[in-house]
Amino acid sequence: MFDNRLFRPGGPVKPEEKDWPSFRGAINEAMREEMRRDPLVFQMGEDIALASPFGVTTGLAKEFGRERIRDAPCAEVAVVGAAVGAAMGGMRPIVEFQFGDFMSVAIDQLTHQAAMLRYLTGGQVSVPLVIRLPCGGGQGAGSQHSQSLYSWFAHVPGIKVLLPSTSMDAKAMMKAAIRDNNPVLFFEHKQLYRTRWPVPAEFRDADHVAEFGKAAVRREGVDITVVATLTMVHHALAAAEALAAEGVSVEVIDPRTLVPFDVDTLVASVRKTGRLLVVDEAYLNFGIQAEVIATVAERAFEALKAAPRRLGNPNVPVPFAPCLQDEVLPGRARIEAAIRQMMSR
Amino acid sequence: MRAMLLIRAVEKAWGDAYLTEEISGIPPSLSTGQEAIAAGACAALGDGDFVFTTHRGQAAQVARGLDPKRILAELYCRRTGYNKGKSYHVTDMTRGVVGMGGIVPAQVPIAGGMALAQKMRGTDRVSLAFFGDGASNEGAVHEAAALAAMWTLPLILLCENNRYCITQRDTDALKGPSIAARAAGYGLPGVVVDGTDPLAVQAAVAEAVARARAGGGATFIEAQCERLTGHLIHDTQPYRSREELESAWKHCPIFLFGERLERERILSADERARMNREIEAEVAGAVAHARTQPYPAIHEAYEDLWA
Repeated sequence: MFDNRLFRPGGPVKPEEKDWPSFRGAINEAMREEMRRDPLVFQMGEDIALASPFGVTTGLAKEFGRERIRDAPCAEVAVVGAAVGAAMGGMRPIVEFQFGDFMSVAIDQLTHQAAMLRYLTGGQVSVPLVIRLPCGGGQGAGSQHSQSLYSWFAHVPGIKVLLPSTSMDAKAMMKAAIRDNNPVLFFEHKQLYRTRWPVPAEFRDADHVAEFGKAAVRREGVDITVVATLTMVHHALAAAEALAAEGVSVEVIDPRTLVPFDVDTLVASVRKTGRLLVVDEAYLNFGIQAEVIATVAERAFEALKAAPRRLGNPNVPVPFAPCLQDEVLPGRARIEAAIRQMMSR
Repeated sequence: MRAMLLIRAVEKAWGDAYLTEEISGIPPSLSTGQEAIAAGACAALGDGDFVFTTHRGQAAQVARGLDPKRILAELYCRRTGYNKGKSYHVTDMTRGVVGMGGIVPAQVPIAGGMALAQKMRGTDRVSLAFFGDGASNEGAVHEAAALAAMWTLPLILLCENNRYCITQRDTDALKGPSIAARAAGYGLPGVVVDGTDPLAVQAAVAEAVARARAGGGATFIEAQCERLTGHLIHDTQPYRSREELESAWKHCPIFLFGERLERERILSADERARMNREIEAEVAGAVAHARTQPYPAIHEAYEDLWA
């Protein structure tokens, strides 16, 4: 379903996709609508006013001016700190990181300050901020620009973690993130930016916002549950389509939000199928895949007909060379192989 | 004078509570020797202004007029403390006091953010970040100072140079002429002030506040003083010689300011002693109050995380 060429400038738009909103355009539209609705919303990030690296903030500086679309210096600690302080002071900041990997530079401001200050002050402050983190591999961007580090942040208390996989979700989840009164991380898979998706009518509804903690059942099936996020949702759907021809009925669940996590939809699905495969680009060690499997083991162990499996990065940096990069990232072919193996037992 | 005496009395009560094992956990961090900085700085601020404290934050909390009863209730981990017993870093948003310091430089970028909000919302209010000589070496401080200059933020960066970063002497860690000399590199005005003189601190901060309110941006102030007690209450400072400590106590701001007020016939020794007795009675009352307050209920461990 995915074509790596989509990432590169000048990638083709198929005729049937022409009227579908792009993933990055959906995020742009969400931010534009919310900035029109609420004058307290503003943005900070490197190059967001003049030359947004992935084009997500294109045109916003023209409409809202350079005070509200603030080009930030290369000073991630100060910028995230500024977002925390401004949020405590009643503003609603959105911060863009050019690559989500750079969040590591400012992790204290996020996990110890933004996430904890409400608790530490006995509920005296709220910290409504959104940090946008381009993530994921597949672009040959190298080890420090290709990671999927959401487990780091889902691990600590006080941060909502969002993983949109379609244009509709990108828009509705971004709008909900901006209106949320807590710190929210919005992970944007770079392979999705230029993709286009058909959308329901509510995409055009400026008042439609997502509800967090509601997984999407992207495809219903009865033989196996595949939990997948971001681009892996689409890889899993492609695998499911191929396996349907072989008589295997695959259910694909997209959690959409890691914090809060929709345990009920997951458990209900595994109770129905009895098999669980979790697919994510994240490093496998102590990662999101393990957390999903542990949750099912605690809640629905007796429903399992086979040992759960997980696919992910086998704990090496995402390599620069495309042939090596493709080796360590999961994808449609590995998902198909894993499902066949699980169904043969 | 009253503010400085009250700071010292509240902190003494806190330290005593730890030394007598009435409270436990991480030992109290006293600002003995630094009282003039908080007292002077807070005297230059008004309603709606914000201060962000260090781990040595009780001085600023008292100087901003927080209630010693609720400060001590918090430090006794009681639910009627300002933070419901959830932090060593007392906060009162209604009086513009954000208690921070668990991670040394973190309050400085956040104070910059509050200043950004104050500016974007069209107010003339300002934010002040306290930080120490140790924190001045942190990247977060450099970044926040550079950003405050770039965005002309109404921020006062107030470095309390108490000469020691735990056991490390400032002269071992700082090789420039002063910490404030770094301000020029950020593009900010830099001021060195005698941090044992509350009036000098007040004047320096007032000038910075006036500049910030008028849209002139941030100021970097280094207030120099001597840390008289240990890093935390249990630290007996074996790394400092007796001569050095004796010499340091000659810079005690309460001693110096008391002498000056006496010399200038503003406050006699008797009047000061009477003032101190009143303060000690008030603090004794606050301690008695804190002791009677309830601890948080167990379910409160799960509250106040999400907004």
